[in-house]
Parts: sequence; C-alpha cells; structure tokens
Amino acid sequence: MPSTPKTLPPTAAVVPAAMALALAGLFVAAAANLQHLAWWCLPLCVLAIGWRLSVARHLRRLPGRAARLILVALLTLTVIVNLRTLSGLAVWATLLVAMCTAKLLEARTPRDWYLLCGASLYLLLAACLDREQLWRLPIYVAGLWLVIGALHGLGSGGGTPPALELLRRAGRSLLLALPLALVLFVCFPRLPGAFWALPTSEQAVTGLGDEMSPGSISSLFESDEPAFRVRFDGAVPPPEQRYWRGPVLHDFDGYTWRRRTGGFNGAPELQYLGPAYHYQITLEPNEHNTIIALEMPAAPDLPFAFFTGDEQLIATRSGDAARNYTLTSYPLARNLAPLSASTRQIDLALPANRNPRTVALALALRRDAASDQDYIAAVVRYLRAGGFQYTLTPPRLSLNSVDDFLFDTREGFCGHFASAFATLMRAGGVPARVVTGYQGGEWNRFGQYLSVRQSQAHAWTEVWLEPSGWVRLDPTAIVAPQRLTSGIFDLLGSAFSPTERVLHEWPWIGNVIAGWQALSAWWQDDVVGFGFLRQMNLLERLGFNSADWRALPALLAAGGSVWLLWMLWILRHEWRSAAPDRLARAWLRVGAKLAAVGLGRRANEGPLAYAERCAAQRPMLAEPLRALARQYAELRYGPPPAPAAMRSFARAVREFRIA
Amino acid sequence: MRLRERIAERVAGWARRRQGEELLPLELQSRRLYILPTRIGLGIGALLLIMMLAGLNYANSLALLLTFTVGSVVLASMHECHRTLRGLIVAEATVGECFAGSTGWLELQLQNSVAVARRSLQLRSAGGEAVSLDLQPAAAASVKLAIAARQRGRQTLPRLELASTAPFGLFRAWTWLHLESSFVVYPAPVGRRALPERAGGRSGRDTPQGAGEHEWVALRRFQSGDSPQRVAWKLVARGAPPMVAQYAGDPGARHVLRYNDLTHSSTEERLSQLALWVLECERRGESYALQLPHLSLPLGCGARQRRAALEALGLFVAA
Repeated sequence: MPSTPKTLPPTAAVVPAAMALALAGLFVAAAANLQHLAWWCLPLCVLAIGWRLSVARHLRRLPGRAARLILVALLTLTVIVNLRTLSGLAVWATLLVAMCTAKLLEARTPRDWYLLCGASLYLLLAACLDREQLWRLPIYVAGLWLVIGALHGLGSGGGTPPALELLRRAGRSLLLALPLALVLFVCFPRLPGAFWALPTSEQAVTGLGDEMSPGSISSLFESDEPAFRVRFDGAVPPPEQRYWRGPVLHDFDGYTWRRRTGGFNGAPELQYLGPAYHYQITLEPNEHNTIIALEMPAAPDLPFAFFTGDEQLIATRSGDAARNYTLTSYPLARNLAPLSASTRQIDLALPANRNPRTVALALALRRDAASDQDYIAAVVRYLRAGGFQYTLTPPRLSLNSVDDFLFDTREGFCGHFASAFATLMRAGGVPARVVTGYQGGEWNRFGQYLSVRQSQAHAWTEVWLEPSGWVRLDPTAIVAPQRLTSGIFDLLGSAFSPTERVLHEWPWIGNVIAGWQALSAWWQDDVVGFGFLRQMNLLERLGFNSADWRALPALLAAGGSVWLLWMLWILRHEWRSAAPDRLARAWLRVGAKLAAVGLGRRANEGPLAYAERCAAQRPMLAEPLRALARQYAELRYGPPPAPAAMRSFARAVREFRIA
Repeated sequence: MRLRERIAERVAGWARRRQGEELLPLELQSRRLYILPTRIGLGIGALLLIMMLAGLNYANSLALLLTFTVGSVVLASMHECHRTLRGLIVAEATVGECFAGSTGWLELQLQNSVAVARRSLQLRSAGGEAVSLDLQPAAAASVKLAIAARQRGRQTLPRLELASTAPFGLFRAWTWLHLESSFVVYPAPVGRRALPERAGGRSGRDTPQGAGEHEWVALRRFQSGDSPQRVAWKLVARGAPPMVAQYAGDPGARHVLRYNDLTHSSTEERLSQLALWVLECERRGESYALQLPHLSLPLGCGARQRRAALEALGLFVAA
C-alpha cells in the first residue's frame, strides 16, 4: 500500500520549539514576497503552516504518499498555469513557496526541517532582490532571526530548549556575526555590471505615464510616497519656481493627451538667464523610466538620456544609473528657436467633432481679442470667474471631456485645468502643449534635501507667444493659486481624511515623518546604493588608487582578522572556567609551586599519592604537604564544604612555601 | 567501500601517531581536535554561494548583506563548534564486568569546567552506536558506552570518537581517544551443575537458593574487599558507618571450585561453569576458593576475590 499513513513518532528528533520557529520563519519569508506571489500562494502556505503546527501539537498523522504526490502535482500544475502572468523572480518565489507547502506535509526528520530553513533563506533573498526599502528591513531581520533560531533548535542536541531561549541564542549569533557581515559588505569586491540578467518584470509602471486622461479618473489616488529627492549644491529655488519637468504631451483626441514619438529631434536652442541651480536628483526605485529635471535643464550631459526639441529628457536605458544624476537648471531660460511649421501644426491640432462647445467658446473669446496675449488674458478671466473648483474627487467625464468640464461639472484637478486650457488655446489659434511633472517639494531639514512626493505630480501648459517663445502657464495656479505656494492641506483641508488632518495639526508628527524619510534616503543612497562605483569612491577616499581593486581583498583580510580576534576574545570570555571551583584552583596552585622545583603532578595521580611522592623526594615538605592533600581530599570528596573551611584551605595554600 | 575503509585506517593510524600517548585525565586541546562541515553544512555552503552570486549579479546590496550575515553566522558557529570540545576533560574510563558473548560497558567520566553548557556531544566507539549527551555548565557526567565482547581474554579498548555538532549541526568537531587500558573479558556464566557445597566438595543443597538466606543475623564493620551487595545500605542512609550483613545461610559457608572436578566438558564449558559458580557465591555472599590447573585462589569473598577469580578464568590458558 503506497498510502500507508505514517505516524509522527511521539519523541520526534526535532525539538517542537525548532519546528515552531522554522514555521514562523517560513511564514515571514513567504509574506515578504507577498507583492509578487500568485494570489493563492500565501493563503495556501499559511493554511499548511497552521495545519502542520496542529499536527505537531496533537501528534496526528502526516498524510500518505499518494496524497502528497497529488498535492505536489496540483501545485506544480497551478504554477505552470500561472507562469505567464508572473515575471522571472516571481515564478521562482511562487514555486518555492508551493514546494515548501508540499514539504510541510512530510517534514519529519531534521533534514526536512533544515531544507525548509534553507528555502526560507532563499525566499528572503528573493524578497531582497525585489524590494529594498528601509521599512522592509525589520521583516527581513525577523525572518532571518527566526530561521537562525530554528537552526539553533535543530542542532540543540539532547535538550528541549523553549523558543525564547532559541531566539536568545539566535540573537547572540547574529550580534556576533554582524561586524564581519559589515566588513564583507563594504570590502567584498562588487561587479560593475551583471553577468547574467533575468528578464525583468514587465508590469505597468506607476507615477507619470506617457498619457493623461483626466476624464477617466474619478478619484485621484494621492500617494504620499516620495517620488524623488533633490540635493542642491548651493541655493534652493523658491517654491514658485519648483516645476519639475517630465513628459510633454502633444496629441489630443478630445479625451486623452499623449506623448509624441519623434518629431522633436535635436537639442533646443535655449538662452540661459537668471540664477543657476546645481543639484543631484535621486529617483525612488520602482518608478517610471522618466527623467525628471527642474525647468529648464542646461545642456545635460547624461550618458543614459537625450534632450529633445521640446525640452524633454528621454531615458535610453533603465537601471541604477538612470535613477541618480546631476544637472544644472535655469528656471528663467528662454527658447530662442522659431516655431517650425510642423511643430505649429502639431500643437494646434484638435480632433474634429469633439468638444464643440469649447471650440465655440474659444472662437467667441478670440473674436473680441486683439492679440494672442489679449486672448490668453480673456481665457484666464473666464476661468477665474467661472466658479471652477479644485478637487481630487472629480466626476467622470464623457468623450467630450473638456466640454463636460468647462460647462457642466466645473470640478477637477490639475489635469482637467491643463487639458481645458490647452484645448482653448489651440482652438483660439495659439500653439499649446501639456507638460506633466511635479510641482513643489518640501525641505527635509534632517537630510538637507528637497523631497518631492507622488502627490505633488502636476500638469501645466506651455503656449507659444511670438516674442518670447514657449511660455509656461499653469491654469491650476490661476484657479487655485495656493496650490503652488502652500501645501495641498491648506487648500483642501476638508477633503482629507481625519488622520491626514491630525498629521497637519500636530507638526511633530510631520517631523517624525521627515526624519524617517531622511533615514530612508540615507538607506537608499548609502546602503542600497552601495555598489561598484561607491566602493571605488571609498577606496579613493581611503587613499588607494581607485582602479586598484586589489586593495579590497587586503582590506577584507584586515577587517576579517580584526573580527576573528574580537570574536575569539568574546568566546574566550564566555567559555571561561566556571566561577565556583575555587578549590581546584587552589590545589592547582600547590601543584604549580611544586612543579617549579621539578615535582609536577602526574596526570593519573590522586592528591594523596602525589603528596606522598613529593614527601618522599622532599622530606622537609612532608608535613605541610600531607596536611594540604588531606584537607583537599576532604573538601573535594567529603560533604559540601563550609565557606570557612574553603577560606582556611586557600590561606594554607597561600602560606605554603617551598624553601 | 574498500578504498574508504583503507583511507579511514590510514587516517586513524596517522592520528594515533600524531596524538601520542594518552593518559587520563585528559583535557582536550586544539591540537587534537578536527573539524569538517557536515552534509547539511555543505548544503548551506552551496546555498550561500548561490545567494552571493545572485546578489553580486544584480548588484543588490540587501541580498548581499543577507548573504554575508548568514555566512558570518555560519563561520562563527564553526568556532563555537570547535569550542564545544576544547577544554573538555575526560577524567576517567572504567570498564564494567564484561562477559563473553554479551555487551560490556565502558563508563567514561566527562567533566566540563567552564560556565557554558557543552551541547550535542556524541560518544562512539569504533563501529558502535553513538551516545548523545549534553554537559551542563561546570558539571560532570558519566557516559556508558556499550562495547561488544565476543571472546574471553584480554581485549584492548577500541578507539573512541568524541564529537560535537553544536550549535547548528552544520559543522562536526571531533577527537579520537586512544585509551591505553585493556580489560579482561570473562567467560560467559553458563552451566547446569549445582554449586559444590562446603569445602571438600560435599554436595548439600539441591537448590542453589535456600530459603531465608537473605535474612541477615549479624552485622560487622565493613572491610575493604567486602561485597557492596552485603552492605546494609539502609543503615548507611540513616547515618551509621557502613556495616556488612552476615546472613543466616552462611555461617562460614565455603566452596571450593575446582576446574578438575568438572569432567566430561570442554575447557570453555568448564570455565563458564566456574564463572557461574563464582557469581553465585558472590550473590550469596559465601566464601569460595578457586583451583585451576596452574593457579589457585585462597578462600575469600567480595569484589577483590570476585575480580581475581573472574580474571583468572578469563585469562585461563589450557596447558
């Protein structure tokens, strides 16, 4: 019978606490992969863990072989079916969790549990490869701690230590190992590039996209996550000049604005005026591929991006390099190039039969305007007086989105205003385009940088005016000027949840958040971002030739040796002789005194025999030595000695002299 | 398999020469400790290698930090494993009575003088079963190890292996103990003849166990050589000096056990019968003399007599 149920022996070789810790470690490791596991994977694993715990507690039977084989086959099949929807790393993580789930059904011997611990370590690795944010660090530490505790339990020998004791031992192991881990982290030679690349995840990126359809969004999800950080080398631009330029949208179908591929080759001719700002931008990981720059960047020389005619920075590749770059910007720069016919055509185009009321309004306003400037002023007046409301929860709009917004709903966020304004401009014969990016930024005084959050994503317009070229006009600022200078909380206090208002009313919470963000920034820059280049920089700072990577093994050896000495010192301290054995030490002192005159104790000699032998050699010592030996034997082998007797023996040993 | 055995033999010989003479008590020093990763340790090593390659390949700092931390924990555990045996004291080794064809016991006294427990210790004689134990801080423990005794006669102690896999089971540190002592395997105590009663070989009782022989009638002071079975332990427990019980069944009972009386048997059968009688006399607490062709033991009883008699039987060589 292949499916004979096997009983769990009542005295399993694996300590129950070790099992509990291994299961907890597996759970944490699997949960750390939650973001890319197949949806069924974690619940199944949790079920299996709970079931296995109850089996261990009630000493129930493990399922038979047939049941296990069926389960493994089912799980493998499910993973294969899911294969298409998962990316490379996620497939491995899902498969691993599924196999661990199956393994739980037959985990009996210590070897099985070691295997589960190894799988948990792999899962933690997969999670680390996928996400490296600071807030996840406690999860990884917890997982690692539990797994090390489980290993302590598996190797614990005869005793049955409780889980807390195992965790204490694991904590000690981790503390002992940490210095070496840091030495290895800093000194182990890193690679300048990957030698084998897994296909990366092809999931949609969040943040700024290549298109914008304000009418399709009924509630703008305001994410407070940081989008990027800017460290300024010198002055920081004032709030009204903090326009962070992203994708420029030209094509409009009445509902959606889209980026245009091609048509804007060649760098723009810019005249750089006013103050210059030098800064370094660090984009948060897992972001879009867009390169953000303060308007207007000057002749950027980035190896991974090119500058287009409509002043966009387009990334040519992704990766760590494209997340961190240095630029110089002139907020007051002007575009000197004349508007080409093709560009004029692109930026005046409007879809036929869409937004007819808007077009009619534009024509009416245009008829009364003497110049482009007059027309713009008329549109601005219209928007100011029209009773428009800034909101993050606008109603949905039809395909004639601008008509709906201007004449019916009159509620919207930056995208609605930019879209409507650009449409009005184009209908009135003024070339216009929509620019997306971010606006604003908060100064983090702990980290000394400007932090721009996802919620500060913004859209504005640029119009072509004859003498000055492309001019930025921010219609949102016209309707709700506070949106620019002050925070979004002042503007829309009532629209926010109670927790967010609490946050606004007690600024110390804001301080805590700023501190946390500065810590996160340090984590991203100096720990997560510690790669080949940073390592070379470090070498240079330590006075080595930066190209000479051979300094690294030398540093590694030096650091490792220091750690070894330190660890051996700690171990030596821990493994010192037990304190209470004063008696033996006193007796050894007698032996040492006698050894000095060539009468060392033989290994197999008892105290009395030793005393006799010495007495025979040195009759002068016979009396005190016999007394000492007798005293020692009594104290050692008799009933537990009184402290006074111990003291008198110690004194006698001290006074024992060899003339 | 053959090759493996030969290699093991060579290694054993090398270790034997290297460690030299070994006298008890013995404190284990680094010099004689060997350490290798276990199979699971090798597995973890391979896992760490793959983890490191992944971390390096993707230039992922956190993955590398994880790998290096686990690696350092493992490395530190190697030193701890070594520490578990270092300084351990093998104080004493005594071999209990051991009869041919049965298992004898080797009792090893281990001492831990440090303030830390020594865990996952395993003691094994060459080719035997391992015994596991943990040594508490500043404590001693005795371990009984079964040793197979096939033939009577003098036998040297097998090589012992004292190992530890603490703390994770990823490394195994061990040492070989070549204890110099030998011991005598006694003949198996079997036989069917009744114990010869009284001196002179006069047969008295039919049953070897007479009624009332366990009721003692008098006590005298313990003398060295008396059988511990005859000590009145209950009185000792009450604080009295050790007294030896004198039983009703044996006021001066004496037996002379003669090899030459046992005719119609082979040498081994005779020795076995004699061994059984010796044990029987000791159990009753009665005096006995042993007469072998080349050796005779005077009358006596107690541990010393028992040992002398059984050793004489164990080492007996037919003329």
